[in-house]
Amino acid sequence: MTSLALSNLAKSFGPVKVIRDIDLTIEDGEFVVFVGPSGCGKSTLLRMIAGLEDITSGDLMIGERRMNEVSASKRGVAMVFQSYALYPHLTVRRNMGFGLKVRKMPATDIKQRVDDASATLKLDALMDRYPRELSGGQRQRVAIGRAIVGNPDVFLFDEPLSNLDAELRVHMRAEISALHGRLGNTMIYVTHDQIEAMTLADRIVVLRDGRIEQVGTPRELYARPANVFVAQFIGSPKMNVCAAGSLATQLEGVDFDLKAATQIGIRPEHLKIVPPDDGLLQGRVIVSEYTGAGSLLHIEVEGAGTFLVVQEGQAGAEKGERIGLSFSSENMHLFDGSDFAI
Amino acid sequence: MTPSEKTATMAHATRVPWLTLRRKEAFEAWLFVSPTLIGFIIFFLGPLIAVGLYSLTEWNLLSQESTFVGVENFRDALTVNPDFWLVVRNSALFALGLVPMNMALALTLALALSRPFFGVVFFRTIFFAPVITSAVAWAIVWKFLLQGEAGAVNQLLASIGIDGPNWLREPDWAMFAVIVTRVIKMVGLNMILYIAALQAIPRDYEQAAQLEGASRWQIFHMVIWPLLAPTTLIIMVITTIGSFKVFDHIYLMTGGGPENGTLVLAYYIYQQGFEFFNVGYASALAIIMFVIVLALTIVQLILRQKGSG
Repeated sequence: MTSLALSNLAKSFGPVKVIRDIDLTIEDGEFVVFVGPSGCGKSTLLRMIAGLEDITSGDLMIGERRMNEVSASKRGVAMVFQSYALYPHLTVRRNMGFGLKVRKMPATDIKQRVDDASATLKLDALMDRYPRELSGGQRQRVAIGRAIVGNPDVFLFDEPLSNLDAELRVHMRAEISALHGRLGNTMIYVTHDQIEAMTLADRIVVLRDGRIEQVGTPRELYARPANVFVAQFIGSPKMNVCAAGSLATQLEGVDFDLKAATQIGIRPEHLKIVPPDDGLLQGRVIVSEYTGAGSLLHIEVEGAGTFLVVQEGQAGAEKGERIGLSFSSENMHLFDGSDFAI
Repeated sequence: MTPSEKTATMAHATRVPWLTLRRKEAFEAWLFVSPTLIGFIIFFLGPLIAVGLYSLTEWNLLSQESTFVGVENFRDALTVNPDFWLVVRNSALFALGLVPMNMALALTLALALSRPFFGVVFFRTIFFAPVITSAVAWAIVWKFLLQGEAGAVNQLLASIGIDGPNWLREPDWAMFAVIVTRVIKMVGLNMILYIAALQAIPRDYEQAAQLEGASRWQIFHMVIWPLLAPTTLIIMVITTIGSFKVFDHIYLMTGGGPENGTLVLAYYIYQQGFEFFNVGYASALAIIMFVIVLALTIVQLILRQKGSG
């Protein structure tokens, strides 16, 4: 049983607080993704769990044991680094067996474990190669293999796909997801890419400035963001948010319950292009970006700023065209003056 | 313009000019390397050829008489003159003592000073300062420190009950003393090279090994040391070559003594050429030293190629 509990976890570098009062429980076998913009502290938090960064205050429990003072090698965790950190002077086989060798495991057992991991990750043909002789995706798999052979309780991934090209990233994403399905270990994954977070996670932890903004399943975060930051961070293209007052005139007479909302959010995919006179909002197309499956329109709505709209199909609106926008009230997100969802 | 004139003009237009892009680039390239090339010819290749020619003569600077003797000077050095092999032995001894001591100390200092901590720049400066200190000043200070009973080193040893030798006057100790003082003077250079190499190793390797349960010693000898191999090789060869070429240190501290105990190749060449004025013989010795240093350089290149392969 390898659950994790983070209680009031904090980290400071001198006077600078980079992680503030993190409270989080991760269940056994769960795939949790830490996501947030650059500098939000997600990698630092992962490294605190790994034991590569000291914990300034709070408690870290892995299983039933408090780990604050336990050395990295005794926490039962394995980490896949952003750079892969494969030892350049060792072959794939020796890279994968490194951890077992330093723990003085018999050579026959090391071979068995490494062979098993290489079969799982389809690395058999690469075992005698050096890291410099591998492609990015192959290095990635070796790094994961090195983590697997140690048979850890918890896998930690620090932006492992960020050095890969877009196509390979999609492929490796699926491989990591499948690996989680096969191994069933607890996995914590750090990324700044919200698509990666949405596709991989059982639960997503959204971080900003060292604090947790929201924890939830991808669907929860998409459908019920807790605040404007999460609403705009999760989902691509990002949610349109404007002052409620700026739409007051245009929405006059429409039976929407805006409660005490000071801001209104509508996702680009929930806005529908209609003739100008049929729309709840009227605007003019200022940029039309063709994306293949459809178009991404930038629409200037009078008094409310620029709205992004996803238009499906090949008949994209032209730049300068006057259009109407309609949407359903159930797709509207309401926020108060402090950016919190109502 | 008639059609035939038109054709002639077009043919003229397509003719390749003498100054093609390729030639222009080649000309520019020669222009860029020419300052170095001229310097190399005047200050290295010319003297080298001259020394090669001198080595085939018996030329005494005082009498100004020069006689062609073929390889006699080489034969004399290699088979007749017993001093030559003593000098080669001393040079080898100096290198064998200096190189491991210098490298071990440089690596130890680099490991201690490669990471930032309060005062690290101060310590790096302290250990590097001797490298840029005048060799003359360094030698004079150490000659004072290593004097017999009055020397500070011996007084320090006496305070803990050790009767120190007369370092620079006793044949058994002189070589040791010049090696140690040379190491202290030059170790900062290798320390800097090692620090640069250590800082170029991504911390991820160390942290990955740490996570996998490697001890500090295991991290060093299984991860860091192999990654330092190219730097170690370069340092080893540079230091070995430098130790074979050492002159100023010996000249200033012992003058080759006592009893020729510190008479090394470069200083012996100087003695033959500028104290005894045997220019031909000194030139032959210089050629032999050049061959030794060249051989070490070739070994370096071969090892580097093998390493990178």
